[in-house]
Amino acid sequence: MTTGNVRPLGIPVLAALCCVILVISVFIGREAISPAQAWREWRAGAPSEEAPALGILLNQRLPRTLAALLAGAGLALAGCAFQALLRNPLATPYTLGVASAGALGAWSAFLLVDMGIIAGVLLRLPAVQVFAFLFAGADMLLVYLLAARRSRTSPAVLLLAGVTLGMLANSGIMLTRYLARPDRLVMMDRWLMGGVDVLGYKPVFTLAVGVIPCALILLAQAPHFDQIAFSTDLAAGRGVRVNRLQAVTFLVGSLMTAIIVSEVGPIGFVGLIVPHSVRAVTGSRHRLLMPVCVLAGGAFLCCCDIIARRAMPGETPIGIITTLIGGPFFLYLLMRRKFTDWA
Amino acid sequence: MTHLLEARSVSHTYAADTPALRNVCAPVRSGALYGIVGPNGSGKSTLLRVLCGLLHPNEGEVIIDGQPLRRFGARERARLIAYLPQAVNPAFSLTVFEVACLGRFPHAGFMGALGAADFEVARRCLRDTETESLRDRDFLTLSGGERQRVLLASILAQEPQLILLDEPTSSLDIHHEVEVFDLLRRLAERGYGVCVVTHDLNMAAQYCHELVLLGLDHAVAASGPPAAVLSEATLSAAYGASIRVGTHPFAGTPFVSAAAGRESAS
Repeated sequence: MTTGNVRPLGIPVLAALCCVILVISVFIGREAISPAQAWREWRAGAPSEEAPALGILLNQRLPRTLAALLAGAGLALAGCAFQALLRNPLATPYTLGVASAGALGAWSAFLLVDMGIIAGVLLRLPAVQVFAFLFAGADMLLVYLLAARRSRTSPAVLLLAGVTLGMLANSGIMLTRYLARPDRLVMMDRWLMGGVDVLGYKPVFTLAVGVIPCALILLAQAPHFDQIAFSTDLAAGRGVRVNRLQAVTFLVGSLMTAIIVSEVGPIGFVGLIVPHSVRAVTGSRHRLLMPVCVLAGGAFLCCCDIIARRAMPGETPIGIITTLIGGPFFLYLLMRRKFTDWA
Repeated sequence: MTHLLEARSVSHTYAADTPALRNVCAPVRSGALYGIVGPNGSGKSTLLRVLCGLLHPNEGEVIIDGQPLRRFGARERARLIAYLPQAVNPAFSLTVFEVACLGRFPHAGFMGALGAADFEVARRCLRDTETESLRDRDFLTLSGGERQRVLLASILAQEPQLILLDEPTSSLDIHHEVEVFDLLRRLAERGYGVCVVTHDLNMAAQYCHELVLLGLDHAVAASGPPAAVLSEATLSAAYGASIRVGTHPFAGTPFVSAAAGRESAS
């Protein structure tokens, strides 16, 4: 890739930065852990119950960091793919209502479990997670089917359908709130704020199984995204099967986002601001842009999680942090960019 | 090697009762510049999309060098036929050189990998369209004429045999329009088969070797050399309006002008 404006050093530098953040993230938290103490415990070979530092490190900090990396990487990559596919810098799975739908699913599950209609655990996963996944996936499928009724999927129709479905989901959330027992509202609200505070490796495993194959499929489409972001008609003339690319990207991107949302809750703005910031550095060639989005998305969410752990006594929900950072930053980008980019 | 792309008795209907093409025959041969002309809504763009293989007509067939075009794979087809659509609005910035490199898509290796040879082709195409000096500019900041030349470089980078363009000069001023038609004529003389949809009958008369005139009934009203196609009677019938034809004062080719309402009444 030597096409003028790319920085060949970008990927190694970002990869190194990711590793540094990963290491820092493991050692920062409510309880300060000195690397020396963890190392001594590791050398002594004590079981984790008798090794406080190492136990926290391996059972809390490391899975949490890995969950943040995977979720951030997946959200950023899905955002990048949707922006290219829909040729719109505002298009991400979140714009299409996936977060609201996932939240509605989670809240319905809270409610149904309380009412004794469904079991708390379905398919060996928490019912809340299963419902969040199903609702988020159903939202994306519905958006796609609504737009694909026409001969060629129109980005404007997709976005409007997504926004509308998101509003419908929000009114559904209001209904579940109204029906729920008041003492359950705090717990349900907390889900809405997102969090990567996982315990143990099962959630990390679920995320990895969901995110990694989907990410590889999306990365393999990079040259097609270049074409379709430039011009849909020109892309078709050059041999891109536009309808198939739309179907694959929609399916895979939605699946990946639904899995992430069901595991860590609706964490906003990652898919919107990471691709934008990365594009400013790497240019718009997706063969470079997409891998860098993966690294930068993971690093960004890790940083947000570090802030979430340290900003206030106790934990700050990570969804609040990403929005507090992402919102103003996005407004800044909006003001700074040339108007033609947003036409 | 010369190539022949041919629409044979093509008819197409989009919705149940809105025909777009009616029994249309049109050839595109290597080494000549073809023009598709006709009134708005006569099916010019549809015919071009059919010729590119992007739209499969309900009836009739498109044949290239004796073989049905639909048997070709999408990327194989793109190495033979390049298509420049009417409106190209990129969603994100790219440099001019990157835009030229996009044309290498049908030739790219695994995961869209491009090699030194591909970059050399892209550079050569920028030279051919006199846009080499723009290579590091942002495509979105170019003027209309520059954009169109860069897009031409980008489709030339596909190394096609045939080039089909949909109104490449519709947003250009008179000087840049001439520049683009000069370039298309040069490409035809170098052996490409070039076919252009245009509304500018006078440009078509000056530059094209052959014209296909579509009428409001979506059928071919006339085809052949411009001097034969551009007659007052055929044009007036095809456009459903009174059209006058004289002689171009400098080029000596037919000069077409629509009669104003007052004049046609008299």
